[in-house]
Amino acid sequence: MSEVFLRRVEECAVDAKSKSTQLRENETLVEVEQEYVKQFVSKVWNDGISRHLSTITGLDLGEKIGIVYHFWQNQNLLHVRTTVQKTSPTAVSIVDIIPGAILYEMEIHDLFGVMFVGNPWMDKKLLLPETWPDDLPPPLLKTSKSPEIRKRLKLEVE
Amino acid sequence: MSESSNPTRREETAGLMKYSTENLVPFGPIHPALKEPEYFKLVLEGEKIVDVIPRIGYVHRGLEKAAESRPWVQNMYMFERTCGICSFVHSLCYGQAVEELTIYKVPKRAKYIRLIIAELERIHSHLLWVGLMGHWAGFETLFMWVWRDREIVLDIVETISGNRVHKSMNAICGVRRDMPENMEDHIVEKMKYLADRARYYREIIDTEETMLERTQKVGKLTADTVEKLCAVGPMARYVGIQNDVRLNAPYAAYDEVPFSIVTRNEGDVQGLLRLRLDEMIVSTDMVSYAVKHLPDGPIRVKIPPIIPAGEHSSHCEAPRGEIFYYVKSTGGRTPDRVKSRQPTMANLPAALEMLKGQTIADVPIVLTAIDPCFGCMDRMSFLDTETNKQWTWSGEQLRQYGIKYYKDRG
Amino acid sequence: MLKQLEAWARKRSPWVYHINASSCNGCDIELVASLTPTYDIERFGAVLVPSPRHADVLIVTGTVNAQTKDRLRKVYEQLPDPKHVIALGACAAAGGVFKGCYNVGQGVQDVIPVDMFVPGCPPRPEAIMYGVLKLLGEVK
Repeated sequence: MSEVFLRRVEECAVDAKSKSTQLRENETLVEVEQEYVKQFVSKVWNDGISRHLSTITGLDLGEKIGIVYHFWQNQNLLHVRTTVQKTSPTAVSIVDIIPGAILYEMEIHDLFGVMFVGNPWMDKKLLLPETWPDDLPPPLLKTSKSPEIRKRLKLEVE
Repeated sequence: MSESSNPTRREETAGLMKYSTENLVPFGPIHPALKEPEYFKLVLEGEKIVDVIPRIGYVHRGLEKAAESRPWVQNMYMFERTCGICSFVHSLCYGQAVEELTIYKVPKRAKYIRLIIAELERIHSHLLWVGLMGHWAGFETLFMWVWRDREIVLDIVETISGNRVHKSMNAICGVRRDMPENMEDHIVEKMKYLADRARYYREIIDTEETMLERTQKVGKLTADTVEKLCAVGPMARYVGIQNDVRLNAPYAAYDEVPFSIVTRNEGDVQGLLRLRLDEMIVSTDMVSYAVKHLPDGPIRVKIPPIIPAGEHSSHCEAPRGEIFYYVKSTGGRTPDRVKSRQPTMANLPAALEMLKGQTIADVPIVLTAIDPCFGCMDRMSFLDTETNKQWTWSGEQLRQYGIKYYKDRG
Repeated sequence: MLKQLEAWARKRSPWVYHINASSCNGCDIELVASLTPTYDIERFGAVLVPSPRHADVLIVTGTVNAQTKDRLRKVYEQLPDPKHVIALGACAAAGGVFKGCYNVGQGVQDVIPVDMFVPGCPPRPEAIMYGVLKLLGEVK
């Protein structure tokens, strides 16, 4: 992992009141609170630390839902992880900094039920079918089970 | 789907009017686990497209959820079937993400074999795409010739792996089958033939009237837009951005086999055609080199069915761009979370941006230019804001309209 | 007499409409490969048509997911009688590798009646041609 990259990430982490952990030779993880996410991402993008967002992953962490941003620059991978409560899953959107993030946020909205404040397409479904019942919880939560979803979507033929 | 049957779609039309045309409206029909059937709604002002609304989810099957209840090895073959055209790279990327969590290392011979199959896949995918571009532009002969050449690649792949499409060559920490004996000369000869054919097709696209008219100055984007939209693969390289996982973060045997990145600056569909054909030529060289320098040794390391806890992500360069896999294990027989992000999803915002300002006749060419899976353009709906007319066309009707439009234009 | 001529024409030159109902595209590219010079299904008179209203045979690929179920049914209704349906590949037969996934049906026959299954993942172009021709009674 290049020293310069590591140092710059460390600086951003300190500004966001967190610290970076080196997972492997070329991978760093930074845990950031929701209130500092935009500031951190903005610094990473605008200062040129990384100019490519690979994707955004959603995770079910029990009581919380994790949102991990994956950045990539040369051989360096940077993971930025933040969490939101399952009981009130609202997160901040980064589409005004990185327009390309819009689809990834829509996907997490569909599959985990997280509402991204600032994303203009939160009322649209990206992946789930039109026949998805409103009261059915998002599919990728650990509590959602495939057989139940299939029954509700009428995919099981008796 | 017809307009009248779905009340949600009416709301979409109404909502569309609220968005101004300056807004970047990236959205896409491609789901990370799958591609194909999409439904586009194009908003027109006269002949020009001002907005595009796609509806995807037609191929959403729920792979990521299913992966959480299947063993590690089974998942590899399930993720392979995410896409028929770049299936090997999916299983490769998943395998690489999981391998890092174990203490075992992939043998060198396996890395070389992985490179050979991955590059063969790239050749077949690019040939498929060039043929389709010919088909959409009305140049059927090109389509037939290119797909006939593609059969050469598929024959080699079948001899090595046993299947033409879903090769199932990967295993966790290795490959399942070895290279057959005495195939070296045959492969090198066929690679040389394919490289010559690629140069010939290159000439055709540079000189043939039909192709030039449909592809020059069509689908233009700037490097700045592409970077902001985080496009990957050829979509980034055709405006000059050096985004290639094989160069920036080499995996498998890419750090040992000589490789040169191909970028172009035209920023239009013709540039994409040239780029993919040039990449094909580079791939044929790589396959020939790898086959001649294949190291000896085992092809696989057997590992226990339980993967230690941890999380890891891996990316690879598929024919369409960067594939990204993230894997999380809690030390069990099944993964805790697998996330796969296909390249077409990353390219979709850029594709929709490319469509703006084009005419209806250019739509099939522009949409195919990003190289999505080709069953996708099966239905399109149009809304003309001046006359308030709405109509629906199938992909084939659109293709024939495009051919007729350019023929009449002269 | 006219009916006999019709039946003969349909057998000799089947017009095929292909619909992709959530497929990975493996089956689709093998179907398109069967049109190319190496396999050339057109020498048997089979032609891919752009609209279901002109077709005799409907080829369905892919597992049928919740989004495409209605669409598949509508397309089937648009096909004029007598119609035949071919389910191509393991996914169309019973869900294939994705059986049990939350958005996947149990194959095409739950949505529309199927006359011929062509197994494989994906089936080779020769298998596809064999399937189409056997359906029409060309091959016993």
